Amino acid sequence: MVSQPEIKDRREEYAFHDDIVYLHEAKRGLTRATVEEISAIKEEPDWMLQHRLRAYEHWLKRPMPQWTDGLDKIDYENIIYYRKPSEREEKSWDDVPDQIKDTFEKLGIPEAERAFLAGVGAQYDSEVVYHSVKEELSKLGVVFMGTDQALKEYPDIFREHFGTVVPPEDNKFSALNSAVWSGGSFVYVPPGVEVPLPLQAYFRINGENTGQFERTLIVVDEDASVHYIEGCTAPIYATESLHVAVVEVIAKPRSKVRYTTIQNWSNDVYNLVTKRAHAYEDSRVEWIDANTGSRKTVKYPSIYLRGRGASADIISVAVAGEGQHQDTGAKAIHLAPDTRSRIVSKSVSKDNGRGTYRGQVKVAPGATNAVASIRCDALLLSDKSRSDTYPYIDIQEDDTTLTHEATVGKVSEDQVFYLMSRGLTENEAQNLIVQGFLEVFTKELPMEYAIEFNRLVKLEMEGSLG
Amino acid sequence: MSVAPLNLAWATQTHVRGTSSALGEPDWLTADRLAALEKVAELPAEPSQLYITYFDLRAVDFAAVEPYPPTPAAGDAADAQLPEGAAALVHVDERAVVSCALSAEAKAAGLVITTIAEAATEHPELLKGLLEDGGSLPADDTFGQVARALYSVGLFIHVPDDVELKAPIVLRWSVGAAGFGLISRTLVSVGRNARASVYEEQIASTQATTEAGARADSIWWGTSEVSIADGGTLDFSAEQDFGLSTAAFVTRQARVGKDARVNWAVASVGSRLYRSRLENLLEGRGAYVSQVEIQFGDGKQLFDLTSYTRHLGEDGTSDLLSKGVYTDKSRGYIKGLIDIPYSGRGTDSFLGEFSMLLKKTARSVTIPSLEIDQPDCRRAMHSSSVGPIDETQIFYLMSRGLSEDQARKAIIMGFLDPVVARIPLPAAQDRLRARLARKWPAGRAIVESAA
Repeated sequence: MVSQPEIKDRREEYAFHDDIVYLHEAKRGLTRATVEEISAIKEEPDWMLQHRLRAYEHWLKRPMPQWTDGLDKIDYENIIYYRKPSEREEKSWDDVPDQIKDTFEKLGIPEAERAFLAGVGAQYDSEVVYHSVKEELSKLGVVFMGTDQALKEYPDIFREHFGTVVPPEDNKFSALNSAVWSGGSFVYVPPGVEVPLPLQAYFRINGENTGQFERTLIVVDEDASVHYIEGCTAPIYATESLHVAVVEVIAKPRSKVRYTTIQNWSNDVYNLVTKRAHAYEDSRVEWIDANTGSRKTVKYPSIYLRGRGASADIISVAVAGEGQHQDTGAKAIHLAPDTRSRIVSKSVSKDNGRGTYRGQVKVAPGATNAVASIRCDALLLSDKSRSDTYPYIDIQEDDTTLTHEATVGKVSEDQVFYLMSRGLTENEAQNLIVQGFLEVFTKELPMEYAIEFNRLVKLEMEGSLG
Repeated sequence: MSVAPLNLAWATQTHVRGTSSALGEPDWLTADRLAALEKVAELPAEPSQLYITYFDLRAVDFAAVEPYPPTPAAGDAADAQLPEGAAALVHVDERAVVSCALSAEAKAAGLVITTIAEAATEHPELLKGLLEDGGSLPADDTFGQVARALYSVGLFIHVPDDVELKAPIVLRWSVGAAGFGLISRTLVSVGRNARASVYEEQIASTQATTEAGARADSIWWGTSEVSIADGGTLDFSAEQDFGLSTAAFVTRQARVGKDARVNWAVASVGSRLYRSRLENLLEGRGAYVSQVEIQFGDGKQLFDLTSYTRHLGEDGTSDLLSKGVYTDKSRGYIKGLIDIPYSGRGTDSFLGEFSMLLKKTARSVTIPSLEIDQPDCRRAMHSSSVGPIDETQIFYLMSRGLSEDQARKAIIMGFLDPVVARIPLPAAQDRLRARLARKWPAGRAIVESAA
């Protein structure tokens, strides 16, 4: 056994918490009146209020899911379902309140923007406070704004698509989000437009017991393409926080959409997210999804292949450390002929962390000539860590070609020994091996994100040996 | 969300006490039945949250079925003729044991085949050891608990320590009379360093309805409760070929000791609904299980197979393979879980679930799962595939002179052969091959219509 260099846990450095003066804060707990109040403050049209109330009724009726554990430990009555830190959407960085700016400075947003970002939508608690879209995007006719603003400014296109991919009745948490949603991004890319740079939204959660219920809607018209990136950091708190988001993506014929997420909520957050895309004829949808943070994440990015020739690619990676459960995976539902899907999942569990892959590939009657592949690999780094794999494969067409493979293992001692013989410490060797294991994900990221992600993994890995 | 308990009109204390007393069982066996009955009342029909989406008993009409009461064995059962090459034959036809015969060699080796009630008198300690706390069946499986509470036929097979029986013990079950259900238990105990082979044959009786109705109106309900002491080996093969008006429920569990082995080979071609739960408990260090299952479904058949393999001891090995071919409106729900708890250091485990669909209306669901708490495994993996017949293989075989139909048939028979080849009696092997081939004309028409 090699002696272990002492390593400090520096995760605190990446956690931010500023004391913010909230302009409006809903009471704790959720009642019909809370829902009505949120809608009234936002001056929403009646159809949205009705949609919220329908969702609220479903939230009450729907039993808590039992197939994963711990969801009933959340004290839903002790959550604040709506906060509004500033009065209006900001168009320019200079107008953003200083306090909020300070936090963003720490995250490096202005630099990122100056560097090459096409647009930045930053979510501070429940409202989009800062939003700038480069002139270039406006000229192309691309809409990239807060979801609340889009409801007012693009009511027709909004209403046509909102809730069509993830209806409130889809699951318990889509109902909750639909009842109290606030903030999130709205993206519309007109026909034939290829957005040249990734659209980025930096999400931040702040305030103890603050719920975060953003709603993102991305509509990519025919022959258009876009890459959307979201990343999360959050302050560390002792009590439980809740993040329940819904993301809807509509990829019209021949369009291309890539949605990249780096999820790094602090380890007290329950992160329960419904992400789904509808892919029409000859379109291509890609979810690139990484989960390193949160206490428990329940998220299975899904693609419904609805048009002939549509294709789906889902890469999901998860790192589960002390006290964490990453219950993640992917779904590909083949509903049309000649559709293809590929799922790659990699999970790393360390300390007493638990990584669960849960996924579904379904080929419905009529989806002839479908091709699907699933690959799930898990690494266990500690004696106390745990890995589960639950793939559901449901095939109802005779000419489907599907392959599935899963392995679970530990870091090979031979590899570690070899790297140490080249001068690395045991910790460095292990870190390198884990980074290599996750490379299928990192290589899909823009460079700055890849660097940040590797740094996060390294941070997670520190002190994991011994 | 959970599945409700089974609601069986005849799962009552009166029925249980009546059955136990008719068989002349001691009080402790009656108490064991009553303990199981309590579980039946409470347990959800599908215990796993993971599988409730694929729980479907609609094909069976429980209200139309009465369980057979205990019936004495036929007077000439012991005089039955043994199949060629068999060590023993037990044949249960509808309600009663009609054959129970041992070869001279098996008798000389000390093989015990009797009823559970008899064993309670003649081998009380052995029987108590096997049944203690209901440990011979998975505690959360209501189907196994129904058998434990209500069996009218109980078989007890014991292979003494160090005995090696080369010839197989044949268990034959024939049922299918409309309106009746046969509920049974089969205990198989293999002693230290002993070796034996069991071949279970499940077929339609002469009383079976030949016309398949909308729902099954006959039931076979049974178990294989296997215990293999240190160093022992059991080869257990089965062919399930009940008629299409029969629903079959089977719970099998093997407790495998140190360096002991169990080899399962199960072929399912018959019955309207076949629901099986197979549990491998690798308790001793170096325990080994090999499990191959094949299914060939046609018509409206549903094969609902779940297997759990639990690596409780160190250095266990499991090699699990399921292969299914489905045509017409048949369905396969194949669920397998490898469980490696912390105690299972050094495990080597592989689970493969493969299917082939021959018609657009057929359906294959596979859920190969892993739950792993011990990182120090030699191997833990699963793999699964679903696909049509590979056209290049057909092309190749045709270039060797086969017709297209012969080529397709050869490929499917090859796909299923891993189980067929492990059926111990040559005659039984031939019959299973012929049975699989009989499924073929339907498959052929479909392949042609899809082309």
